[in-house]
Amino acid sequence: MNSRVELPPAREVCPTATRRLLAEGAQLVDVRELYEVAQTAFDVPGVVLLPLSELQQRHGELPRDRLLVLACQGDERALKATYFLMYQGFTQVACMQGGLAKWARKGFPMCGTIPLAEAAATSCCCGPAPADGAACGTVVAPTPGSCC
Amino acid sequence: MDIKVLGTGCANCKRTIQLIEQVARAKGVPVTLGKVEDIRDIMSYGVMSTPGVVIDGKVVHAGGVPGREKIEQWLAAGVAA
Repeated sequence: MNSRVELPPAREVCPTATRRLLAEGAQLVDVRELYEVAQTAFDVPGVVLLPLSELQQRHGELPRDRLLVLACQGDERALKATYFLMYQGFTQVACMQGGLAKWARKGFPMCGTIPLAEAAATSCCCGPAPADGAACGTVVAPTPGSCC
Repeated sequence: MDIKVLGTGCANCKRTIQLIEQVARAKGVPVTLGKVEDIRDIMSYGVMSTPGVVIDGKVVHAGGVPGREKIEQWLAAGVAA
């Protein structure tokens, strides 16, 4: 079985930085399970859906020549996925802090709705949300939040 | 024998530690048992499913509570090595 590999701390990026990176050619990888995606999803062109439960078998499908930004509902699964890919030798990987909940809190494009408590649980970062806001999804009754 | 249990502290991880302790005691095998709970440290072994068990630096198990027989085999192999 596996041996230990020394892993450096994972790169973590906020949703705003993620959007900038996506515009520059990065690939968003949503590692939530498909039943979760069916309820609420990132409205991002080309987003790759690769559930964490399938990552071990399917990580070979992911490109190694561009930055991959891993995202989930919060942080935990995306961070785990990020470290797993680093273990597998991927050098261009980052974890999106706060996941879809924080993305929604910023008013970034998504499909479906996200519960208020979940969306409000995370603060925002990197300045205000851009004017284009949510394309086809909504955060139910968002509240003002702080910025990191 | 150095044994590490990888996991973020779930019930199965705790049960795995208890079971290894019990079997080692019953067999009279001296072991150094440690927990690895940090996600980065866990993933440094490439283990996606926890609990994971590492013996003398090698992953021997990943996912689910290992059976008593399996633990006995690990300990016997470690003593023989």
